[in-house]
Amino acid sequence: MYEAQRALATPSRNPRMAVVIGRLLGVAFIVCFGTGVYSHFLQEPLPWMRFPTRPALLYQFSQGTHIVAGIACFPLLLAKLYIVFPELFASPPVKSFLHLLERASIALFVGASLVQITIGLLNTYQWYPWPFPFREVHYALGWVLVGLLVLHIGIKLPIITRFWSARHEAEREATDAAGATEAPGAADAEAARLEAVRLWGSRRPSGVTGRLLAWIDATPAAPTSVSRRGFLTAVGIAGAAVVGLTAGQTFAPLDALNVFGPRKKGVGQQGVPVNRTAQRAGVTASATAAGWALTLAAGGVERSFSRAELEAMPQTEVELPIACVEGWSQLAVWRGVRLRDLADLVDADPDASFRLTSLEQRGSFRRTQMGPEYVRDPLTLVALELNGETLDLQHGYPARMIAPGRPGVLQTKWLSRIEAITA
Amino acid sequence: MSTEIKRMRVARTVLILIGTAGLVFGLYVLFDTVRITRLPGVALWIGAAIVLHDAVLAPVVFFLGLLLRRAGHRATGTILVLVQGAIVVGSIMTLIVVPAIVAQGLSPNNPSILPLDYGRNLALFWAALALVTTVWAGLLYARSRRANQRPSSRQS
Ligand code: HEM
Repeated sequence: MYEAQRALATPSRNPRMAVVIGRLLGVAFIVCFGTGVYSHFLQEPLPWMRFPTRPALLYQFSQGTHIVAGIACFPLLLAKLYIVFPELFASPPVKSFLHLLERASIALFVGASLVQITIGLLNTYQWYPWPFPFREVHYALGWVLVGLLVLHIGIKLPIITRFWSARHEAEREATDAAGATEAPGAADAEAARLEAVRLWGSRRPSGVTGRLLAWIDATPAAPTSVSRRGFLTAVGIAGAAVVGLTAGQTFAPLDALNVFGPRKKGVGQQGVPVNRTAQRAGVTASATAAGWALTLAAGGVERSFSRAELEAMPQTEVELPIACVEGWSQLAVWRGVRLRDLADLVDADPDASFRLTSLEQRGSFRRTQMGPEYVRDPLTLVALELNGETLDLQHGYPARMIAPGRPGVLQTKWLSRIEAITA
Repeated sequence: MSTEIKRMRVARTVLILIGTAGLVFGLYVLFDTVRITRLPGVALWIGAAIVLHDAVLAPVVFFLGLLLRRAGHRATGTILVLVQGAIVVGSIMTLIVVPAIVAQGLSPNNPSILPLDYGRNLALFWAALALVTTVWAGLLYARSRRANQRPSSRQS
């Protein structure tokens, strides 16, 4: 074990580096958790919950940030694991029951983090190769991970505070430069070697292991301070690259750099990307049927509107994004009837939440709920047109919802029924 | 000093308690919302992630690092670190883009999903990375030669 730790020692594997990278990773985790929980409650609000409808780009921003911070976790988590990898061979492997718990919590932390970012990324590619439901597991692991993060900080707090500021680093660089002493990493390794000699005698493990270790020993050591700075620079550039070359799928100024994002602005019918297609939803016949009508209901009142009748009502034009849970978004111009005007036609209670039903045969978002803050918002439309044309079938023809600050899955396409929920 | 120790102890206790509460709540949500027959799959993925990292990825990175240091033993340390860094950056990008290429191969359910030529873009990315690294290394090499030619009292 000592031999392994010694062989793995490199200049960038030290507590200061673990703190520097760990801080950034911690921030990224917290940002992911906060934005993720927000997205969760938008989709599954507790009864008392109300959400801000301004800025109208709020969800685009929060979920876009979720994916950007999530992608930044890849270089950061891998860097963090690289730095602390020799700890795996700590010896003795277990010192006490508490130590066992600590190591178990670290193992779960590592495994759950890797799973979380992997399934998150693959979800944005709409590839689901795992044997469990994504949303439920991703949500639960979100809580598990912040819990483990806070626990981890509590356990390591003495080390974290000791290496928080760069003072120790500066001292070390100074001593390195003066050539007065070896780097602490090397000193640790030397101590480990002496301990190994004490335990096993000076004889090296023989056979393959011995030859392997000898070969490793004969390899030139990495240069110290350059290699530490190089490590941080590489992680920084990798982070900038993975974020910069994908974030254009939601952040318009970076559109030109979007060469790896799973979506591209402007790609899709009428310049807007599509998620669920009419074929998938099984609505190609029902959405194009001549007899289609949108039903509004509140209390005992129920009224139906054909598309022509909706077109004859006062029309409003709004500019709102479709912002997907997968992190892409697309600003577009929508035209249609204000939902609150329709609600007034059936004398709905101003404080009522509404239930929206789609023509879709099945699917978890066939039926969704909308709180009064959205129903009464002047930007919330039953949209009939998109970017100056009749709504494409793939975008929800004959009529769809568009409201400010909500995830795309709740912008119900192929509307069929809108009813006030009586408390 | 002793108040400092006491404060540290209080802070750690609070953090550990809050953290444990979050962890327990997460596990509760997991058991509450995911059907019990699906839970072994979750455990399997978490276990497999640990094994994949500790027994495959980390050793591969370790031996690649050794090979690079041997191959480049005559290069100056800075150039070696530069090449190492470039490989790190390229590998991480590859790690993120290759699944996109695979997913594209599984024919996404509409053409606005994964619409780009990710394979070509990844090749271009590596090419750009190689170019930048070469130029950068060239500059470093030229600088170190100039420094060596100058009569200098500095060793190494
Ligand atoms: C440690 C880091 C992360 C944490 C703590 C986290 C947490 C969360 C949470 C709590 C949700 C809400 C789930 C729900 O609606 O019930 C969520 C949603 C989501 N996350 Fe993450 N996440 C992390 C990393 C990532 C990464 C790396 C990606 C992708 C690159 C990602 C992609 C997604 C997606 C696509 C959703 C939307 C799911 C849906 O509503 O269908 N996450 N995340």
